Amino acid sequence: MSALFIFGLLIVLMLTGMPVSIALGMTVLTFLFTMTQVPIESVALKLFTGIEHFEIMAIPFFILAGNFLTHGGVARRMIAFATACVGHLHGGLGLAGVLACALFAAVSGSSPATVVAIGSILLPAMTAQGFPKRFGAGVITTSGALGILIPPSIVMVMYAVATNTSIGQLFIAGVIPGIVLASMLGGVTWYRAWKNDYPRLPRTDFKTLLRTFKDSMWGLLLIIIVIGGIYSGMFTPTEAAAMSAVYAFVVSVFVYKDMTLRQVPKVLLDSANMSAMLLFIIANAVLFSFLMTNENIPQAMAQWMIDQNLGVVLFLLGVNVLLLLAGNVMEPSSITLIMAPILFPIAVKLGIDPVHFGIMMTVNMEVGMCHPPVGLNLFVASGITHMGITELTIAVWPWLLTMLVFLVLVTYWPTLSLWLPRMLGMM
Amino acid sequence: MMFLRILDRLEEWSIAILMAAATLIIFVAVVHRYAATLAIPGVQDFLLSINLSWAQELCIYMFIWMAKIGAAYGVRTGIHVGVDVFINALSTPWRKFFVIFGLLTGALFTGIVGTFSVIFIHGLYNTEQVSPDMELPMWMIYLGMPIGSYLMCFRFLQVSYRFVTTGTLPRPDHTKVEGIEAVETLHETQPQPAGGKP
Repeated sequence: MSALFIFGLLIVLMLTGMPVSIALGMTVLTFLFTMTQVPIESVALKLFTGIEHFEIMAIPFFILAGNFLTHGGVARRMIAFATACVGHLHGGLGLAGVLACALFAAVSGSSPATVVAIGSILLPAMTAQGFPKRFGAGVITTSGALGILIPPSIVMVMYAVATNTSIGQLFIAGVIPGIVLASMLGGVTWYRAWKNDYPRLPRTDFKTLLRTFKDSMWGLLLIIIVIGGIYSGMFTPTEAAAMSAVYAFVVSVFVYKDMTLRQVPKVLLDSANMSAMLLFIIANAVLFSFLMTNENIPQAMAQWMIDQNLGVVLFLLGVNVLLLLAGNVMEPSSITLIMAPILFPIAVKLGIDPVHFGIMMTVNMEVGMCHPPVGLNLFVASGITHMGITELTIAVWPWLLTMLVFLVLVTYWPTLSLWLPRMLGMM
Repeated sequence: MMFLRILDRLEEWSIAILMAAATLIIFVAVVHRYAATLAIPGVQDFLLSINLSWAQELCIYMFIWMAKIGAAYGVRTGIHVGVDVFINALSTPWRKFFVIFGLLTGALFTGIVGTFSVIFIHGLYNTEQVSPDMELPMWMIYLGMPIGSYLMCFRFLQVSYRFVTTGTLPRPDHTKVEGIEAVETLHETQPQPAGGKP
């Protein structure tokens, strides 16, 4: 009964278009006030103590690092390196776009940021080279989604926070699926370019390859700092995020000099704005999941699911459908924060590995970012290319379909995600 | 309005500084942790004598303050997104109604939370509760709650007022990236003839 009331109220409030965070908080407030004896003053305290964890603070640090990398010329040099590597194959700049997105994803934790960083440089270049606008937009919009699958990843931090899973394990588990998805997207790009005979670049000589590699090395080194640092236990994920923020600042301002000290306050302000929004959602989502746990809703739902004898296969199918549907109306961080605490107990009871479940959810979020009506990647790409959302939707479908195939792969083949962390002895 | 301008700048500078300071603190704490293990005579003893165990706690509280004040700034920049697919499909008067409803609910929620936290902090004021590492009084640390919530409440009302009078809402621009000029950097990624000069 209370579950019905809570979900009903939450859905109604969200449909009015108010911020998700406010809808969550208001639901909790209304429920506590009308249906329970819990002193509602505790809500204020919970909004503070709910985010009093050092792990959560990885999010602002990763956002700051990502903003420095986007503005500081790291993306530009990665594109040059990627072009030198694969530009001569079928698909030319398109294929280079996939590789550049994958490289940038390994230093940045956000998808839209990856689309902006790579797309705003590469898309005009592709159009100038004679690629159809749709092709370029399709490649970058979907490849940009690698940002949250290849570690570091803000969505994975959210999942870890919501379910008490290890951030380190999730990050390492994302590596192989990330490489596989990048290869699949690259394959589609190659095939379509080969079939339509899109322009290729002349093969670069070894000297150019070496030069572009040396240029982009400062950015690539960050991959080692973050992943290596977390894996070796030198840093906690939050510390690694802070180190990468400082490192990205130094590289942008003093090494590459693409950014002046004068631009730094603006980057700080933008990062603070984005982080505060996410932390505000997290605070309210923690409050919400506290209410759910208090009312025993996830446990009751888990029990109900077990009684239905659904089995793992059907349950995972249901979760995928649910998350894909949610991806139609909400953005990833809200979905992860609201859905993970509800679905997680069921998954655990069915014997699904928490890390595997996290990777699956992340891939789901990726798909949601690439299709209308609320896919943020689409909006970002539409801003860069000046293409309408409808046209972009048509443009992304070959790659989106590939992502769906990949989603099935990730869902029903846990080894893909779990092999690397197991082999490295992390779990 | 002089007062509003000062408030705007104060808000912006405080969150930017909190962001920078928290990053630096963790950076210094990590560097210190590893530097102190290096056996450099004199320096090592000095480094070991500095205790930075409070760094994590300070970072957490700084970020929470940043989140509370930044959430208010976010209302002004329109970064708090909701599910607007359905109301965008409605006719203009209904859409307007729901937008104002959403904004006022935001003001109500933050107003209530602000008031609760004032009550709560008032109760803490006379106690001896201190934070575990820095040993600052807890009421001082929690002060970010009412400040941020009331500020956010004020911003919601301000945005509603602007929406009613001018019909415009703040919208973040995700696509604009300063420092990246597409045209300027174009030649970098242009094909270079094999063996040719860049």
